[in-house]
Amino acid sequence: MSDVLKIKKPVEEGITEFLKFLLEKNKVKGIFTLRKAGKTDSFSYSLITDVEEIKNAAPLTPIMPANAGQLLSSFTLEDAIKEPIAVVIRPCELRAFVELTKRTQANMENIYLISSTCAGVFPLKSAQNGKFSQLLPKYWEAAKKSEVLASLRPTCTACEHFVPALADITISVVGNKNLTEECSLHLNTSKGEELAQGAPGNKTTEKLNDKELAQLKELRLKEREKLFASVNDKNLGLAGLVKTFAPCLSCHGCRQVCPICFCTLCDFDSKTHEDTASHYQSELNQKGGARVPSGTIFFHTGRMIHMAVSCVNCGMCSDVCPADIPVATLFSMVGESLQKLFDYLPGRDLEEPAPSETFIENEFAGLGE
Amino acid sequence: MTATENIKIEKPPKGASIPAKEGIKKAILGVFKKALETEALDAIMIPVKVPETESYAWVLLKDTTLLENADPLPPVMTIQGGKVLSDLTKHGKINKNIAAVLRPCETRAAVELFKLKQLHFENITLISIDCPGAIPLSEYLAEPEKSKKSFDNVLDKWDGDDAVRKVCQICYRFSLPTLTNAPASDLHIGLSGNTKDDVLLIPVTPKGEKILERLDLKADSSLQKWETKIKEIKKIKSQRRKKFNHDFKANISGPEKFTAVFDGCINCHNCQSVCPICYCQQCYFDSATTKLSSEDYFRRAKERGALRFPLDTILFHLGRMSHMALSCVSCGACEDACPMSISVSQVFSLVGEQTQQAFNYTPGINREESLALQDYLEDEFCEVETPSECEPTNSNEVKENV
Amino acid sequence: MEKEYTPQIIGFLCTWCSYTGADLAGVSRLQIPPSIRVIRLMCSGRIDPLFVTKAFISGSDGVMMMGCHPGDCHYQKGNYYTRRRYKTINSVFESLHLDTERIFLSWVSASEGVKYAHVTKEFSDKITGLGPNPVKKEIFL
Ligand code: SF4
Ligand code: SF4
Ligand code: SF4
Ligand code: SF4
Ligand code: SF4
Repeated sequence: MSDVLKIKKPVEEGITEFLKFLLEKNKVKGIFTLRKAGKTDSFSYSLITDVEEIKNAAPLTPIMPANAGQLLSSFTLEDAIKEPIAVVIRPCELRAFVELTKRTQANMENIYLISSTCAGVFPLKSAQNGKFSQLLPKYWEAAKKSEVLASLRPTCTACEHFVPALADITISVVGNKNLTEECSLHLNTSKGEELAQGAPGNKTTEKLNDKELAQLKELRLKEREKLFASVNDKNLGLAGLVKTFAPCLSCHGCRQVCPICFCTLCDFDSKTHEDTASHYQSELNQKGGARVPSGTIFFHTGRMIHMAVSCVNCGMCSDVCPADIPVATLFSMVGESLQKLFDYLPGRDLEEPAPSETFIENEFAGLGE
Repeated sequence: MTATENIKIEKPPKGASIPAKEGIKKAILGVFKKALETEALDAIMIPVKVPETESYAWVLLKDTTLLENADPLPPVMTIQGGKVLSDLTKHGKINKNIAAVLRPCETRAAVELFKLKQLHFENITLISIDCPGAIPLSEYLAEPEKSKKSFDNVLDKWDGDDAVRKVCQICYRFSLPTLTNAPASDLHIGLSGNTKDDVLLIPVTPKGEKILERLDLKADSSLQKWETKIKEIKKIKSQRRKKFNHDFKANISGPEKFTAVFDGCINCHNCQSVCPICYCQQCYFDSATTKLSSEDYFRRAKERGALRFPLDTILFHLGRMSHMALSCVSCGACEDACPMSISVSQVFSLVGEQTQQAFNYTPGINREESLALQDYLEDEFCEVETPSECEPTNSNEVKENV
Repeated sequence: MEKEYTPQIIGFLCTWCSYTGADLAGVSRLQIPPSIRVIRLMCSGRIDPLFVTKAFISGSDGVMMMGCHPGDCHYQKGNYYTRRRYKTINSVFESLHLDTERIFLSWVSASEGVKYAHVTKEFSDKITGLGPNPVKKEIFL
């Protein structure tokens, strides 16, 4: 049971009004949320400090131009924010933010976390033909009914962690039958309560709609199985990996947009991994041919070993891949096994150390003996 | 500095004519096969189709069976070939006699990278080939069969080319001048007509001549027919470019319109990472230098009421432009790699052209020419200092002569 | 070309335990398979998982990670991390259906010359049975 603030407005309008209230009443000095950027269907995250600008906020638009966790890291990397702000981000973005904070790449101080039970986002491509708004009615319909929309980002259709873990306020979206009439804000923490104090709307106490959430989870888990099977049906192995990454341009865009890959200079872009002429010549001698540049499979497996245990399944990497490689599906799949192995879920708990930074003395007993 | 495209040809060069009854690609691959078998070449760097896929990857090969899947002119540009050659030669000497088969814009990128000391030509024979363009990567990956057909069609007719990328449609440097005193490649492959017509192997440098010699090929065919054909297409494409750039310029000029082009940009820097000219190991715009304190973020947000994340998208594009537009070869790699379908290469190509004209510089067309910014004339650009007293140094007209 | 196939195996050994153990095996004139090439590191905790992956992708038929027994690390806890890294590589390889059997972890102390001889022989025999690493023939890596 938690306190719930109900605003008698459709959900997106309601939350926007709430954000306006926060800024107007000086509860926060800034709002970090999605905002319309210039021409139609362009959205970007923005820090809004002027109440006037709130009208352009689009907090629940189902699109993710960048993982907000990564953006908040750039905001708070040098030092913590001095004045309070509220952020409206999705659960996987929140999880990325937590992962980055654990790794001292971000700072959560003075940040009020607002998230939602997340119905997913569309691929970035779907906002490029001017028809994005036509997708929205169906989206909200599916959200209401706890259904999986096939046109979402593939990793969204298969995401089971769509209920935010550490949010101060959770907007009820998934399976919320009233979302076109009212906006329900679940106040999970004292920080959340504090924010909502004096806000327009009615307070009640209520639980999140567990039944509907469970229904969606079940559907998504089924999708997850299917999705993983789709990359696995080449049976992977060396031959499958080679085929999967055959069109890879080595642009490393997947790494660039990954919130977990925070290194300023990725190991795989460093001189260490630039091969020499003699390397290519010896490959040529041994195999009769060598791919140039080298290291495509090495990059992807290496990146997995570095960070897949913290992969939050956000799907950014697939979306920016110019070669349409299902990078996120692979990383999620590999990540899931690693997370099971170490009994770890990225971003569920700020105090839980990343698996690579800790150990248990008597784990994996017998190994190597 | 001289505009290479204006250099006069000393003696009319000739080429070796190769019959192409079974199509030009087979004919070219046949020559390569023979070159490997006779050890005229030790290895060739060429796009090869990855078995059981529709994708091409660059392969340095000596095993002739690999040539079966090779394609000297694949329907798409995967990684920009100039960049690939730089990856191959950047660290250390190549001891073998290797040829690299590149499109003209890739060749020009290779030449620019050579001038930038990111690539060497020691033991490398650069083979360039006339190019009808390339299909947009995303289209090709979505519908390879259809794309292959439309590409073959373009290659056959050298016309009706709206199937190819925008920068290719308006590319008037789809061939390379074969000037021995101002070489780009060592050997140029001229395609004079449709896909069954003879292929011309035109030696440009002694390296190119040597290969023909080793292959027992005589460069005794006149280039006249080919040159006429190239001139014709060039004229059409130049006009198209002029018109396109004129309209496009109107659409993107001024701060508001320019910003609007990049509205959708998500700052992934794919454009920069695939650009052959952007060779920096770590781009300035990815470096720690660009990191700000949280207060700076706030200050900048308050100045405008709202601050877009990530910051400085436009600064990135303008900065990149000022760094490399003089060497932009209009290859279109950046646009192919943009997940937001932004017309990056069209912008860079247009801006590049204007900057290059100001310096009377054509990137990559002549190995012996120095980079525009590594050179100066004492009395140039007087219009910058004392505008009333002089004529502009360089004219701003597009030069269209070969 | 294949007459007698001798695999190429790279071993990453910590200097304090495993390398000393290997040394002991040598001094004791125990038979060590000729397929093993050893790289000595100060601690098994220095074995960057990328070393292992790179060795594998560059064509090693097998890769060994060796260090002191848990609890005996010269630097207290380096090998606990090694164990997690081994598990990580193993899990990633497993998910991708890459050959996990080619990566091997063993604890060998400075006094375990016999164990060193034994595990290297066992691993080498296993790899010989598996045959050459298929990456050796793969061009499109
Ligand atoms: S974004 Fe795609 S093409 Fe670029 S490196 Fe990643 S997988 Fe390869
Ligand atoms: S690997 Fe891909 S899906 Fe996973 S966190 Fe990074 S960007 Fe998101
Ligand atoms: S792949 Fe590894 S080195 Fe590269 S950015 Fe990611 S975590 Fe850092
Ligand atoms: S800016 Fe774009 S078109 Fe110009 S050289 Fe770079 S990738 Fe090619
Ligand atoms: S590739 Fe496209 S989206 Fe990415 S930075 Fe360049 S213009 Fe922006």
